[in-house]
Amino acid sequence: MEEKKVHVRAPVSDTFRRKSPFGQLFEHMSKVRECINTLHKGLTKYYKGNYNSFSNVASQVSQLEHEADLIKSNIRNHLPKTIFMPVDKGKFLWALREQDKILDHAENLAKMLNMRHTKIPKELQVDFIKHVDLVVKTVQKMENAVENIKDLIETSFVKREREQTKEYIYEVHAFEREADIKKYEITKGIYKLEKKLDPMDTYHLLKIIDWVDDIADHAENVADWLRSMIAK
Amino acid sequence: MDTTLLLIIGGSSAIAFYMAWSIGSNDVANSMSTAVGAKAITFKQAVLIAGILNFVGAVFVGSHVTDTVRKGIVDVTGIDSHVLLLGFVASLLAAAIWVTLSTWKEMPISTTHSIIGALMGFGLIAGGTSAVIWNKIGSVVASWVLSPISGCILAFIIFKIIVKLIFSKEKPVKSAKIVGPVIIGFTAFLIVSSLFLKTSLSKNINISDIECLMIAGSISIIVGIIGIILLRKIDDTKTEDYMTVEGIFRKLQIITSCYVAFAHGANDVANAIGPVASIIPLAQGMDIGGTVEVPAGLLALGGLGIAVGCMTWGRRVMRTVGGRITSLTNTRGFSVDFGAATTVLIASKLGLPISTSHTVVGAVIGVGLARGLEAIDLSIIKKIIISWLLTLPVAAGTSIAIFLLLSVIF
Repeated sequence: MEEKKVHVRAPVSDTFRRKSPFGQLFEHMSKVRECINTLHKGLTKYYKGNYNSFSNVASQVSQLEHEADLIKSNIRNHLPKTIFMPVDKGKFLWALREQDKILDHAENLAKMLNMRHTKIPKELQVDFIKHVDLVVKTVQKMENAVENIKDLIETSFVKREREQTKEYIYEVHAFEREADIKKYEITKGIYKLEKKLDPMDTYHLLKIIDWVDDIADHAENVADWLRSMIAK
Repeated sequence: MDTTLLLIIGGSSAIAFYMAWSIGSNDVANSMSTAVGAKAITFKQAVLIAGILNFVGAVFVGSHVTDTVRKGIVDVTGIDSHVLLLGFVASLLAAAIWVTLSTWKEMPISTTHSIIGALMGFGLIAGGTSAVIWNKIGSVVASWVLSPISGCILAFIIFKIIVKLIFSKEKPVKSAKIVGPVIIGFTAFLIVSSLFLKTSLSKNINISDIECLMIAGSISIIVGIIGIILLRKIDDTKTEDYMTVEGIFRKLQIITSCYVAFAHGANDVANAIGPVASIIPLAQGMDIGGTVEVPAGLLALGGLGIAVGCMTWGRRVMRTVGGRITSLTNTRGFSVDFGAATTVLIASKLGLPISTSHTVVGAVIGVGLARGLEAIDLSIIKKIIISWLLTLPVAAGTSIAIFLLLSVIF
């Protein structure tokens, strides 16, 4: 019942003063940041075999995802045809959509891991942690790129800031690529161990690595939409 | 003085005060909404400053513009003085009602157009189509197009200049310290020349246009040098310190806002007291043709009305221009103010009909087109434009209705 309260509409006078769509995009992004940080810490513990507080992490992630969802729908609902923006509105919404998918995948991952605690084989533990580090770095670079939009707008899209954003976007791609390479390495490692492992464990390990990697993929998509949003 | 005369003067002064109040509540947005929207000053500070400056402007410079309203719209020669008296009262009331309605709906309209429309309605009913001076009405129509477009173009250019000279530079704050004094100087030039170039003030103290420009030029240079000294201390080593740049423009914006408020008081007090200034000699049985000295008490009454209007209902329209169309930062707000003030200055010197309300809205769009704003709400702009177009016919219609009603009673 508690959660329903959030859906209560703002007073009419407040809806007149629409928050700026970019301001809300940053707000949404800060939810992503918080969520990924929580997940990062929780996942590292999980990989090390410490499952104590993971159900806590899962519910935190789920709560953040819900809060971000509200922001997302608020942006979508209040962006009618009559709003004139300095960037393509369609691309803006695609970036938002992909940013939201990061949270969807994070929530899915946390929930799935919470359902079945799978022990990571000793041989792969370091690689698993390295992989999640790379994924988190990808998201962080994406956050930098999104944040830089603030400066882009302030300066009315001058070259220097455009280059700065592009720089962050390149870094997103670089980290995503590294994360991908790591993922295949780990997958290979899992197949090598398949004789030793319980089949259900194998399945779940393969799934985990996929789920974590999905987050980086969507961070990359956000970066791509930003790139196309700021293109001349 | 007999009682009828006293009643007429008292009644019309009350209506004039009401009109002045409605003008204040609607037009304070022209000067202050960008400053409040950009959070350069709080709302309370804004209405206080605007109230005082409007009052000062009205009382000291306001006396010279009453002739248009008295004789510029309706050809009064063929009309009976009793009819004329009722007509002016009806027009004043009709205009005030429309402005009040717009303020209630939070729409920034031109109060000048409102009074012109009301007088036109009365002229039509009292003297037929030939009694209305249609050139003036044509100029109102021209203003619908001219004001927003010129405001839009100027604000666009000014914002682009700020981007080009400050934001796109390697060290924006350092560039702002160089460009800032120049802009401060230009602002000073603009303010001084609009105060003294071909105004009643320059007539009073007897200076020619060239002298005026020279004075404005030298004052602007002095102010510019003061600007250099004031900006010298700012730290300019950081590359992406946009807040400091905004801070410099924040102060400039307050000055331009104050200036617009002062100029507004000077120009628009006539809309409220102009008709009354005609009513009083009419009631005394004099002819309207001669020039009448506007009594200082009447000016003060108008000024006070505008000031009270700013302070009581000023928030409504301010919210529309400063927040609902878009949210502004200081550099954007300055571009809008500077663009609007320049447009009004140039246009009034060229004799073009310009409305400040229309210009400010156009200027906001101009900055938006320069990719300077996060989002503009076009649906509100559409509503505003509709309210502009409605001003003339609605004010005219109301004026006719009130006039007919008064004719039945008296």
